[in-house]
Amino acid sequence: MATKYTKMAYANADEMVFGTAKQPVSYGFGIKVGAGRVIPELNYGPRPGSEKDPARLRKEYVDYISKDVLNRAVTLGFPDVQLETEWISQMGNPKMSTPVVEGQKEICEKYHEEYGINCAVRHTIPDQREAEEGLRTGMGGSHGYPEALFRAAEVACENGADVLSCETMGGKELADYATTNGDIVAFLFGVGYLGAIDMEYVWSEFVDIAKKNKCIAGGDTNCSGANTSMFMAGGFLDNDVQRTYSAVTRAIASQRTLVAWECGASGPDKDCGYEGPICKAIAGKPCAQEGKNCQCAHADLQGNLMAQVCDLWSNESVEYHPEFGGSSVQCWLGSLGYEVSLMNTAIATGNEKILRDLYMISDRVRGPEGHILAYDNAYKIGQAIVENGKDYYLRGKAAGLTAAKIIKSSYDSKELALTNKQLDVVNNIIKDLEALPDDTDKFVEYAVKKYKDAIPNFNLKNYGL
Amino acid sequence: MIDYKGVDFAKILKRYDVEAQNEDSPETIAKKMLPADPVLKKVAEAVLYMKLKEVGPITADALKTHKPLDIINNGLVVGMECVAKLYAAHIYYLPEIMMAAKTMEIGIALAEKQIAGGRQTKGLVVMHAAEGDPHDIGKNIAAVMLRSSGYSVIDMGKDVAVTDVVAKVEETKPMLVTGTALMTTTMTAFPRAAEILRKDGFNMPFMAAGGAVNRDFAESFDLGIYSEKAPQTPPIADKILAGYDWKRIREEWDDIIGA
Repeated sequence: MATKYTKMAYANADEMVFGTAKQPVSYGFGIKVGAGRVIPELNYGPRPGSEKDPARLRKEYVDYISKDVLNRAVTLGFPDVQLETEWISQMGNPKMSTPVVEGQKEICEKYHEEYGINCAVRHTIPDQREAEEGLRTGMGGSHGYPEALFRAAEVACENGADVLSCETMGGKELADYATTNGDIVAFLFGVGYLGAIDMEYVWSEFVDIAKKNKCIAGGDTNCSGANTSMFMAGGFLDNDVQRTYSAVTRAIASQRTLVAWECGASGPDKDCGYEGPICKAIAGKPCAQEGKNCQCAHADLQGNLMAQVCDLWSNESVEYHPEFGGSSVQCWLGSLGYEVSLMNTAIATGNEKILRDLYMISDRVRGPEGHILAYDNAYKIGQAIVENGKDYYLRGKAAGLTAAKIIKSSYDSKELALTNKQLDVVNNIIKDLEALPDDTDKFVEYAVKKYKDAIPNFNLKNYGL
Repeated sequence: MIDYKGVDFAKILKRYDVEAQNEDSPETIAKKMLPADPVLKKVAEAVLYMKLKEVGPITADALKTHKPLDIINNGLVVGMECVAKLYAAHIYYLPEIMMAAKTMEIGIALAEKQIAGGRQTKGLVVMHAAEGDPHDIGKNIAAVMLRSSGYSVIDMGKDVAVTDVVAKVEETKPMLVTGTALMTTTMTAFPRAAEILRKDGFNMPFMAAGGAVNRDFAESFDLGIYSEKAPQTPPIADKILAGYDWKRIREEWDDIIGA
């Protein structure tokens, strides 16, 4: 059962800064997140072919990737490093995943004992559930994906994961439709309402599994929704989705991501959850973020800004392969680690708020997505969420409307430039969201009628409705 | 917060999207492309302006005076070609493509009913997302774009087993197979499927696409060709229709995509 946030953890936006969270978390071999310094988090993908058998996969993750990362961290004098293993789909089979989880734990312990480096491993398990087969256990899908999801959580926690995370897929069938059709109401219904219900279903169970095994339940991200729209909106040469639409989806997604913490997860949440500043402002739990040092995976328009209030700083993911400077994981750890070192130097010299502001200002007007995540604006969206905290639909709608109005207001005051199309879209979003009922039951009735035939695999039973 | 009022952001970043935006209206660009015949023009405009509710009655009216194939090829399809032009000019975006395609398909379905034996499409494409991969939004967009360009599509969905892909190809003998993957460890299904198809005597191109896939990988196995983005799929299909095999697609890929 989720205990919903109805007030802000921080008294004001200026109180938030990188490296410090109201509720720091300790785990692994000496890792303390949000306790006064930022920690680099290195994520990687194994080479194609390594998934063919358990021994090869273990060797890839443990003997090559983890060892390379830990060696480079020691070589460059980094005091902390967190590894993140985002499970490939084949790791849904415990024979494939167990040796990796155990092996990464062992190698972390070895380096901690030998060099005193603080280290830990986050395991992000795969959510392969499909709307057409059923999102809940016992729905009879031929693959048994919901059952596999919880089994994967148990395998991770029982065998040595320090942090459990997931990129859950609830609401994706509506989010895909919403983003390809530019339909913000479909996104609000899918991600803001149904997705939040799914998060409560999944994370209540994850938190229990993690607690039982003395593992940290970290958090989630709306990667499948808000990131899909952000990366389809792309950069200045792209023309698929409007960045004003994408920015509003981020705000709506933030209250979905928050649900993991409301179910008892303690953070850190997932790096690709760009909604982190909003969630941290509300909950005070540590957040992982990515930006300038994740160019190996993502090119976004807020590379500096995303560092403003992070507690872990991530590269998102890089495939393991050789580079001139070592293996890819070593090169990207160097990139991350030196950025983190700069942040920690700012903290150590009392200049953290200056660096935070420089990060933020440099991307504040690069686009609407970064603009609403600037920590002062993120705080305002957080306030809109907690004012409507007890109801997923109302707080999702409030978050979306607040973001849209921030964009419009900044455009009107000439702070933020928009193309004509971006402006049209944000004006329509405000109109569409304001036209929605204030009553959740009426909204659900309206949305079901509107989308039940338009969206393939739409099934309210997936959400217990 | 540091005071940033008065900061000249032009020294920090450049908003190319705002500076380079196309100020033309859809009307200006479409004017040169729309048919002269007033009935067909009205049909084309129904697609161009995404008149979902009106396209049915407009097509029905047109069928009273024009042959169904004429309405499809010189009305509905021309409207969609205008939409494609507007998309390329950054005046229309993905939602407009999706909406216009839906509008066109309503009109085509009505007109097709009056063609004995149904309408011939340009060719059949079998599409899927790789086994273990739940990410299929790019495939779905490419499917809409292929249908809008006159191709038939069998969309097998996501998380499709190699054996199922092979069976579907053996059953339907398409001109093109596509596979998408967002993960490097799921994209390895494509060479496995292509190898079986090759042994079975098939020589149609196998397009590999999606976030994890790059051109080197797509061209690392027999039959494999690459598509970086959904809008590149119809021009590649057009070349296959023109007789290009997978080797020639590879050789001329830059020119095809540039076109």
